[in-house]
Amino acid sequence: MLIRGKVATTIKVAIVALISALLLTLTQSAFAKKEYVIAAFLAIAIFAINFTYFSKRTVPLKFFLPGILLLSAFVITPILYTVVMSTYNYKTGNYIGKEEAIGRIKALALEPDENNSAFDIVVGKFQESEAILVSDIENKAYFISTSERRFELLSDQVELDENFVAQRVNGFTPLDASEIASSKAATVRYFYNKQYFITVENLNVGAVFRQSLEYLPDQDIFKSLINDSIYRDNGNGNYVNPDDKSDFLEPGWRDPAWFTNYVRLVSDERVRDPLISVFIWTVVFATLTVLTQFSFGLLLALALNKPIRGRRIYRSILVLPYAMPSVMSILIWGGMFNTEFGAVNEILGSDIAWFQDPTFARFAVILVNLWLGFPYFYLVSSGSLQAIPSELLEAAAIDGANPRQVFSKVTLPLLLQILSPLLIASFAFNFNNFNLIYLLTGGGPREQLDGEIAGSTDILISYTYQIAFGSNLQDLGLASAISVLIFFLVASISLYGVRKSKVLESFT
Amino acid sequence: MTKWFRENLWRHITGTVMCLFALFPLYLVLLSAFNESGSLQVTSFLPREISFANFDVLFNDERIPYLTWMKNSLIISGFVAVASVVIGAASAFAFSRLKFQGKKFGIQLLLLIQMFPAILALSALYVIMERVYKFAPGLGIGTQMGLVLVYLGGAMGVNIWLLKGFVDSIPAELDEAAKIDGASAMQTYWQIFVPLAAPVLAVVSLLSFIGTFNEFILARLFLIEVESRTVAVGLQQFIGGQYSENWGPFAAGSIIASIPIVIIFLSLQKYIISGLTAGSVKG
Repeated sequence: MLIRGKVATTIKVAIVALISALLLTLTQSAFAKKEYVIAAFLAIAIFAINFTYFSKRTVPLKFFLPGILLLSAFVITPILYTVVMSTYNYKTGNYIGKEEAIGRIKALALEPDENNSAFDIVVGKFQESEAILVSDIENKAYFISTSERRFELLSDQVELDENFVAQRVNGFTPLDASEIASSKAATVRYFYNKQYFITVENLNVGAVFRQSLEYLPDQDIFKSLINDSIYRDNGNGNYVNPDDKSDFLEPGWRDPAWFTNYVRLVSDERVRDPLISVFIWTVVFATLTVLTQFSFGLLLALALNKPIRGRRIYRSILVLPYAMPSVMSILIWGGMFNTEFGAVNEILGSDIAWFQDPTFARFAVILVNLWLGFPYFYLVSSGSLQAIPSELLEAAAIDGANPRQVFSKVTLPLLLQILSPLLIASFAFNFNNFNLIYLLTGGGPREQLDGEIAGSTDILISYTYQIAFGSNLQDLGLASAISVLIFFLVASISLYGVRKSKVLESFT
Repeated sequence: MTKWFRENLWRHITGTVMCLFALFPLYLVLLSAFNESGSLQVTSFLPREISFANFDVLFNDERIPYLTWMKNSLIISGFVAVASVVIGAASAFAFSRLKFQGKKFGIQLLLLIQMFPAILALSALYVIMERVYKFAPGLGIGTQMGLVLVYLGGAMGVNIWLLKGFVDSIPAELDEAAKIDGASAMQTYWQIFVPLAAPVLAVVSLLSFIGTFNEFILARLFLIEVESRTVAVGLQQFIGGQYSENWGPFAAGSIIASIPIVIIFLSLQKYIISGLTAGSVKG
């Protein structure tokens, strides 16, 4: 059965060579695009693969290298990167690197002339270089301008259309839209006069500007060419005018901010207050979810713990919510809670705007999660009920305990002990139950006041998503800091759960 | 009679009420899938007529490439299910059976990593894959290949951890005997471990299939083009747009999409529940 000897070696060499070649190509192109970290990672991966599969001393590595490479690339690196991002001022307006930001500031630092002049133009080529044919209709002046200089034309030299816009002139070749897009013609600054130049605004219009800012690399400042103001690196990802702190240049860049994002979690009330209320709701939501799912599941398990008629039918119907893909179920429930067209309002005969009112929205979230999760606790509780030795229950009954006492004094405590790791795991899972919140309510209802983006049903993870991707101001630095915080919370809950189950194992 | 009443009536009432609660949304979806009016409403509890108009929209409307979405979902989930178990099983075997330096540290790290929900690293993943896109447009953000790689990475932690548990339960005497007979680690793995663990590997890979099929947020972030979406993202975007009027086709679509998952789940029920009691929760 097994392929042995030379054939196996040949196949191995071929596969390793193929993968190495593939990764090498990727490394090269990553290097060419200056993604040095990724290039280095790929290079190390190539080295590790070849070393592992051609050396005789790396037996364990042969088994887990593919797993380790995937884990490090797509789990460990993103985690570490999250930690790094959390120490950066990394948000909309401060998204790019500093060099790129300087380039953009220079490109954006344009000052129109006093008349805001704009001309009809035709983009094309003149004497082998990019050029525009400009029609200054008001002054009946026409000229061709390249990046270096301009060539005045007489009106009888040019071919005009009905609006007196010059379309053609000898020696000038117009370019069509796709040729312009594929060349640099649209980004060239065309000569206007000593101070001013013309930029291409769209295919037919050029506007007159001059450079308003100058970058002085040796001092790392921007200097205004119009007045004497200067802009300094404020150490927080922006060039700011020292005389007027509200006067800063855009865009900024992502800059190390060390613990600023973490400090903001505690000290900036616009961050802290929503965070605290979201945190409280997260805990309430996860607790209520586990409580309701568990109590309904347990109630069912108790009810169906006896071989009554139709038990199998009950059981096969009851697992259905759990067997459905949860994404679909959540979306379906979302439709059912629709105010005008939803079945819930129709049956209740009510007119409730479920997702516009905080209390109703929260109730809906818990109810839907109950539907999604009670079958799970029904299944595990009925399993555990059977694991409780019947002698214990009989002994309690003989000692004179009534059924209620047997349940509350014997069954329930034992069950809680058996199921506590699962209850904790479920709590940890629901603590981060992003899909439910995002797909059902989207975190809302939210009040759009003062940039406030925390919604009434937002849990920490959906709030973090909202900060990173949802609003107008995307703050990846702050979102990362909250992510790290959530990780510590969830990890400690889960570790507690693991320890509990360990303790349990040692007893049984 | 009264005794039966006292003993069993509450059991049937509880069972029936909860069954109704469980069935209600499902019945409603079924009703609207075969009804032309196209909203999640109770027009009547029994269908007056059975119409296939919604299925017709689903399969023939050019704005909804439903079959493509379904195909995408099945291919992506299927590939991840197989590849993640092939790779994960080898790692699990090494962690469970082989001796090497740093093993204890590795296991602890693994435990920690598999607790870190992928969503927390979402922004980092996004930024990284955005950079990958710059030099390898076939692998970065916006591509199914990139999404599959991210899924594979994410599946590693859980799968290795889950499979390690199963490997641990295979008696060590078996591979010790093989070792005495002169088998190398590779031979032990292929000839003893893989045949023994085959059913377990199948179960874990089907679980992985369900998990990937159900994954929403990474797919939402990665797959921008309509044609490349998975069925979960496609359907969500589809009803996100205009409200009430798309519910009919949506109901039809979600029924078809749910069928494979429900079948897999019901046939694996026994394993899934024992796996769940081992402490993992279905996503």
